[in-house]
Amino acid sequence: MVTPLPELGRFAEPALLILVSLSDGPKHGYAIMADVEHGTGRPLGPGTLYAALARLEERGFIEALPPEDRRRPYRLTALGATAVAEQLRELSAFAELGLRRLGQTPG
Amino acid sequence: MRPVIALLLRLYPARWQARYGDEFAALLAERPLGPFDVADVLLGAIDARLHLRKLGFWPEHRRGFAMSLRIGGFAAAIGGALWLTGLAWSSADPTDQDLGSLVFLVGVLALLVGLTGLSAFQARRHPLLTWAAFTLPALGGAVTTIGVFLMATRTEDRPVIGGLSGWDFFILGSLATVAGSILFAIATYRTRALPRSGALLLGIVSTVALVSFAGSFVLGEWLQALFIAGFLAFPLGWVVLGVQAIRLDRPAMAIGSA
Repeated sequence: MVTPLPELGRFAEPALLILVSLSDGPKHGYAIMADVEHGTGRPLGPGTLYAALARLEERGFIEALPPEDRRRPYRLTALGATAVAEQLRELSAFAELGLRRLGQTPG
Repeated sequence: MRPVIALLLRLYPARWQARYGDEFAALLAERPLGPFDVADVLLGAIDARLHLRKLGFWPEHRRGFAMSLRIGGFAAAIGGALWLTGLAWSSADPTDQDLGSLVFLVGVLALLVGLTGLSAFQARRHPLLTWAAFTLPALGGAVTTIGVFLMATRTEDRPVIGGLSGWDFFILGSLATVAGSILFAIATYRTRALPRSGALLLGIVSTVALVSFAGSFVLGEWLQALFIAGFLAFPLGWVVLGVQAIRLDRPAMAIGSA
């Protein structure tokens, strides 16, 4: 059974953003930070990034690749892809529900 | 490795350092570190120590990215309000200034927390400006504390250290906080990290307070009145910026929409 991301507590949201960032290919820490900050307009601090990376790695959602210079890229595992897809579907369904209640059509 | 990065790394447990230390140091070296980053790393180190012991530190409901903005916003708004309250309290009852000064000091500390929380993006482009904006109020807070202590313990406002009285320390520390706020307003305005209107307001009221204080020695009473007005308006600049930051707390899952 896939561990739901909310179990990651404070790091659930950064973890989801990291998984989404890794969805289009491996990235190292700095590239993940830049991607998340560009995509959300919100800061991702280095301490939060690595706390979330450590939890994701422990749960097998991501895996570390051999380091390039001193940077180490991470990539999404099949388990991580399943978890992020499941989470995004839940969020999408929730967003649709909210929009319907507001009398607006999704998309 | 820069000494500050080595120092920050040492805060993490040895096991964590062995696994992530090298890449984490490389990440920290890739861009300028601001007060927000340092605070985030400190929290990360605490989390790493607690997480490794399986204690479970953070409550479930706390959200990640919005937290710094929200805490910073509330701290800035509360800090500004306390600054104003403390100042008004002390002025209203000159015979008993202790409590008013204490409220004022708490306000200065809250402004520091606010500045740290709201400085997440500014340091990326203006690291020196952002650090100066943090350091000046930090030093100012310490100097203000000395001033408050001296005023509370001495019945007469006579010079005690380096020809300066408790009141001199109090006002110098406060002016350092105002000067730091000008730098923070400039960094914020240039990076558009928060609404420019709030940054502009904070910059203007802080500059009015600082310039009119310096000018009052030369140009006399009417500038003193302007200084008092600027000194009272200064905290309102922080309150406005804090409220704007709280309002920026948009829906979290907006990747790709910004």
